[in-house]
Amino acid sequence: MNQEDQYLVGKLQEALAVDDHVNALDIRITIAHGRAHLSGEVPTEERRAAVHRIACEMLPDLEVRNDITVFELVAAAKPEAVDD
Amino acid sequence: MIRIAAVGDIHVGEDTHGRFRPHWLELDAHADVLLLAGDLTNIGNAAQTEVLVAELRDLPVPVVAVLGNHDFHCANAQGVRQALESIGVTVLEGESVTLELAGCKLGIAGTKGFGGGFPGACGHKFGEPEMKAFMQVTEDEAHRLEENLRALRADYRVALLHYAPVKDTLAGERLEIYPFLGAYQLGEALDRAGADLALHGHAHHGTEKGVTPGGIPVRNVAMPLIKRPYAIYTLGKAVSEREGSFSAREAALS
Repeated sequence: MNQEDQYLVGKLQEALAVDDHVNALDIRITIAHGRAHLSGEVPTEERRAAVHRIACEMLPDLEVRNDITVFELVAAAKPEAVDD
Repeated sequence: MIRIAAVGDIHVGEDTHGRFRPHWLELDAHADVLLLAGDLTNIGNAAQTEVLVAELRDLPVPVVAVLGNHDFHCANAQGVRQALESIGVTVLEGESVTLELAGCKLGIAGTKGFGGGFPGACGHKFGEPEMKAFMQVTEDEAHRLEENLRALRADYRVALLHYAPVKDTLAGERLEIYPFLGAYQLGEALDRAGADLALHGHAHHGTEKGVTPGGIPVRNVAMPLIKRPYAIYTLGKAVSEREGSFSAREAALS
């Protein structure tokens, strides 16, 4: 990423951290060839959409590719005996 | 044997209504207690606290929690704590509790913990007042953890944290952010005081299993990592098989 893109990524990460529809600290963002690529996991579709909206607002000149996934809970695993 | 269900980083919001409750309502079939390792809400405001309370109300097992950094974002951590306590959840902030479960005593020392990093790449109380204050918070958290663990009179002692006490369970996270994910002083407190198990969250991309330099098992139960409504850990054989257990000694003395 060039210098300008690196600062854009920093500003978008800050926005995602403090936006009350997201408050995510671990969204991965890269910018290359006119495209912003978002990845990571969030707990709900609403938060995924909010990340996408904020990225589009802050990066109006870039195509935003949203590869963020919404993670699903699976059934509890069998117990682990930690002191055996 | 005590069965401990544990999870952290559930990040409840108004968009997660009822996500966990169906799983937690059946907890008594699988566990004796539920421990929550912080980041219970996404920002700790009143609306999210209401959702959290609805998830946790009248669960079939005792619930003990610490708060996480997200729960502090709206400067309403005391509101979150009071709401949880109003439904019988025990919240530990540099405190401890002892529960009588399955015929033995489970002592839990809980605190949020803080960052600072790990030997070779950690902060110090040096330079600007802000840096000294940052590291002082970590030292204070570790000190309280050690004191509380030492004071517990129980068959099993568990440390409940949000921040990581070792870097083993951070593997998978970016190295650059380790100092924001945990601190070695917490692990040192565990090793000095002793514990049977340490649980933490905060590191969504870390690793579930680790150990302190002194050999205490550490488990990262961040929900985005374990991808389950809780993990279950068992401690001990039946208490009658455990020589010198606190309950056995206490019974012998009475």
